[in-house]
Amino acid sequence: MSIAKFPLPDVGEGLTEAEIVSWRVSPGDKVAVNQTICEIETAKSVVELPCPFEGEVSELLVAEGDTVEVGTPIISVVVQGNAPLLAEPDAPANEPEGDTGAEYKLPNLVGYGDSGDVKSRRKRAVNTAPISTAIPVSMVKAAAASDAVMAKPPIRKLAKDLGVDLGNVTGTGMHGEITREDVVGSASQASVFKNLTTPQQPSEREERIPVKGVRKAIATAMVKSAFTAPHVSIFVDVDATRTMEYVKRLKSSVDFAGIKVTPLLIMAKAMIWAVRRNPMVNSTWTDKEIIVHNFVNLGIAAATPRGLIVPNIKDADSMNMLELAQAIEQLAATARDGKTTPEEMAEGTITITNIGVFGVDTGTPILNPGEVSIVALGSIRKKPWVVDDEIVVRQITTIGATFDHRVVDGDVASRFVQDVASVIEEPALLLD
Amino acid sequence: MAMSNYQEMAIAKALNAGLRKAMQRDEKVLVFGEDVARLGGVFRVTEGLLDEFGDNRIFNSPIAESGIVGTAIGLAMRGYRSVAEIQFDGFVFPAFNQITTQLARLTYRSEGFQQMPVVIRIPVGGGIGAVEHHSESPEAYFAHTPGLRVVSPSNPNDAYWMIQQAIESPDPVIFLEPKRRYWQKGPVNLDTAPLPLHSARMLREGTDLTLIAHGPMVATALQAAELGAEEGISIEVIDLRSLSPVDYPTLLASVQKTSRVVIAQEAPNNVSLGSEIAARIAEQAYYYLEAPVIRVGGFDTPYPPAKLEEEYLPDADRILEAVDRVLAY
Amino acid sequence: MTPATEPMLQLLAPDGSYGVEKEYARYGEVIDSLGEDQLKTFYRDMARIRRFDQEAIALQRQGQLGLWVPAIGQEAAQIGSGYAVGQNDHIFPSYREHGVAITHGVELMSILKMMRGVNHGGWNPEETRFHLYAIVLGSQVLHAVGYAMGIKLDGKVGTGDLESDLAVISYFGDGATAEGDVSESLLFAAVNEAPIVFFIQNNQWAISSNIASQTKVPLYRRGEGFGVPGLRVDGNDVLACYAATKIHMDEAREGSGPFLLEALTYRIGAHTTSDDPTKYRDEEEVEYWRQRDPIARFEVFLKRQGVEEDFFEEVAVAGDELAKDIREQTFALPKPPLESIFDNVYSDDHPEINAQRAWLRAYEDQMGGHE
Repeated sequence: MSIAKFPLPDVGEGLTEAEIVSWRVSPGDKVAVNQTICEIETAKSVVELPCPFEGEVSELLVAEGDTVEVGTPIISVVVQGNAPLLAEPDAPANEPEGDTGAEYKLPNLVGYGDSGDVKSRRKRAVNTAPISTAIPVSMVKAAAASDAVMAKPPIRKLAKDLGVDLGNVTGTGMHGEITREDVVGSASQASVFKNLTTPQQPSEREERIPVKGVRKAIATAMVKSAFTAPHVSIFVDVDATRTMEYVKRLKSSVDFAGIKVTPLLIMAKAMIWAVRRNPMVNSTWTDKEIIVHNFVNLGIAAATPRGLIVPNIKDADSMNMLELAQAIEQLAATARDGKTTPEEMAEGTITITNIGVFGVDTGTPILNPGEVSIVALGSIRKKPWVVDDEIVVRQITTIGATFDHRVVDGDVASRFVQDVASVIEEPALLLD
Repeated sequence: MAMSNYQEMAIAKALNAGLRKAMQRDEKVLVFGEDVARLGGVFRVTEGLLDEFGDNRIFNSPIAESGIVGTAIGLAMRGYRSVAEIQFDGFVFPAFNQITTQLARLTYRSEGFQQMPVVIRIPVGGGIGAVEHHSESPEAYFAHTPGLRVVSPSNPNDAYWMIQQAIESPDPVIFLEPKRRYWQKGPVNLDTAPLPLHSARMLREGTDLTLIAHGPMVATALQAAELGAEEGISIEVIDLRSLSPVDYPTLLASVQKTSRVVIAQEAPNNVSLGSEIAARIAEQAYYYLEAPVIRVGGFDTPYPPAKLEEEYLPDADRILEAVDRVLAY
Repeated sequence: MTPATEPMLQLLAPDGSYGVEKEYARYGEVIDSLGEDQLKTFYRDMARIRRFDQEAIALQRQGQLGLWVPAIGQEAAQIGSGYAVGQNDHIFPSYREHGVAITHGVELMSILKMMRGVNHGGWNPEETRFHLYAIVLGSQVLHAVGYAMGIKLDGKVGTGDLESDLAVISYFGDGATAEGDVSESLLFAAVNEAPIVFFIQNNQWAISSNIASQTKVPLYRRGEGFGVPGLRVDGNDVLACYAATKIHMDEAREGSGPFLLEALTYRIGAHTTSDDPTKYRDEEEVEYWRQRDPIARFEVFLKRQGVEEDFFEEVAVAGDELAKDIREQTFALPKPPLESIFDNVYSDDHPEINAQRAWLRAYEDQMGGHE
């Protein structure tokens, strides 16, 4: 014995509701299959409804004169055995009355018309991206490695407007494509009108941010460093054109396919070489002794959503160009995701900070505590330069470096910076 | 290796030869339509077939396009392979019901029990100085109908082979013949088919831009490419050959190479086959495009009186104008 | 009200009495050769198909079918003509010929599946020789003519062998005769001398349009202008329908060319379950035709022939069992598999279909239910 319910059907190909005009049965009546139980009026006509079940009427669920939507149960009948399913029920949302008193959520069963408004979106069961209909990404990446440049039309236009050669820009997008930020970062200076919108002035007079967490740690480190070690900074302008050419060639080489190659990589390699020639710059001051490290744990300052951190690449001096490129990419990705571990940030021996990506020419970086040198890579811009007594357009950058004068004297500092600059000017020196 | 057997013939003659071959090969192949028998068709495409095959194989139909296609369907149910001719593009519309609601759907409706090996041959396109309804390009209506295959040869060799391949297909094929090119001659390889029925073909290699065309527009596209070359523009020309399905792998390979696309068609641009191809290329080759895909087609008017058709139809100049626009990006 | 003044072949009057007019003698001869078993079969199937029809209407009203197309009142025209069609002849129905369907072994559930939206009519036309239902009015008549032309090309007409020669019967209604395709069919059939019988079930109503608004000339004469002779028969007289169809199908297969039969009957029910006939016709008219019911008059006839009462009871019981079985099977019909959307769009492999089938599969695999 169970309760069967008869949901109002769509009797006329697309009707959405009907009025119960009159009931022909009452609770307690015995009913047979196909016995007329009521008369309904639809937009098209008046129709008699035959009972789908045999049994005893339990309840009339809709009153005469009421208009209800297709799918609304109108009568419940006690039947022998299990109630036949008139429509596929959803998982019972309400308490079941009897064995099968579940509310019927009607799918688009013919006879029950359009399922009506969808109230919510289907969820993705599997955590994947929407199915792409584009040419497979691997083909796209391969193209990116060749002369073809991967950038969406608005970015191409931006590059054109800013006078940026897309061939010289490294893409940081999800598939390696060049993003707006990449273009803006590469743009030349004064003529650049960035499409900055001026944010609204906040309505409060002030905002108070508690000093804690990463911010507190950064502050502590900076103070310790700045007010313990005597900082001296020196600068040199260098023609980085050959480095840029080298980067371009590396980008299109098969070995480096899919790996980000930027001037930072060449800078890192240059620094490692220069360290070998000027070991004092790669050391740590303790009040008792200066510890000169015979390995390079190359720190790379990374901007993360929570602040600046400096993870380092352990034993960067033992890596070849490809390994170093991969390590830099991995380090940046981990930092972006906020997943850098304390171990990765400890025991650095020397640091690079890349301020060029922010469009800044150079700066006076503060030493990472425990280190005596830090080098700033600035923006690389086309500028007039003298080559063979003629003014030509070259890609110029300023290398800035700060040293702890307790350990590194002016001559060592200068030689070190000059060595780095030499490699930037002529990467072939790395063949040594 | 034996030398291939080549013969120079016009498209109309190549179609005639292809039909002949198909009828010789399979006695179930029938050819009918208005004036196809003794007259040999108003374009003489079916000339001589009556003498060779008799009036049980090739016969005239009453002037009733719906009847022509409807009875072709019944004959298919009885195991025949009909090649029905609609005399002119503008007259296919009385048969539109039978083509779209019946011919295209019987295999689907019958869950595969009934195959519809029917070819409907239609001369299409303008440029012959004709009166109204004789210069249409109705391919979009048929390409838009699931269940139909739509093809269009642009040269004699393709005409000879594609008509035979269409007849062999178990599916209904709308076979669009470029009427203004009927008398264009070219070599026909009598031994080997050039390509499968639904393959596109690159006719001219280039590096700067991909120019896609079909049927009567292919010759115009080749002219445009020739003129472009004189200006130092290297245009790759692709003959679609199959309008439904379109051979997208071939198109996309070219787009990957050139990054710029122009599509040329006689049909009005609005809601045309060219529009679909443009949308698909934009979707599937987004990162390869240096410029938007531009369609060069007829204006969105009924086909004009003959005195104005030269200005209406896209010619090499109109194609090159689009090429210039695309290259400017 | 009804065009009752035209000459009409009738062997069985509404009151159940049997009589053959002189000019229709040859039709009477056909009936003379029928045995009692055959007559009982006519009755059984008419009752069966009516019971089925009534159950189908109820199922629609219970939300189990999107639509039902009742053939109530037309049983004689369909059962009678259906049995007269040759074993190997092909039948081209419109969409109301459920009675003809059962004379050729088409499963009733096949028809219900179509009305439930499980398929578009998936029975095998080759096997049953009963082609799929046609929803576009008149479209199927051209197919029938093409088929008949094919039979002629095959040389299966007029060889003298009635067993192996073939003919085609094409069913359509009074409303469909207005369609251009029907006129073109008559034309093609005539000029090709195709072996085809056009069987018009004139049930006098095309949704809400009465036959008087559809034709100036009685439908049995529709073919005259094209060269197709015709005959009107009483569509509620199963014996007349049988005899006329038998004779004219055989003449067609012998090479006489096309013929047109108009079976004058009445659509007792609605056009479909979406229709409400009370909005456009009088109950009086319906009652007039109820008095001329095909099954009732045949019952009277059979009883006069000596058929026992228990035969009729047995038929009624069998009808109820059939109804119950149909009901249970209908409730159990599963939704077709999702990917069947893509089946049989083409006979040959097709890249777009393959791609879209794969896409839908991947999409469904990714998606769960609603939040």
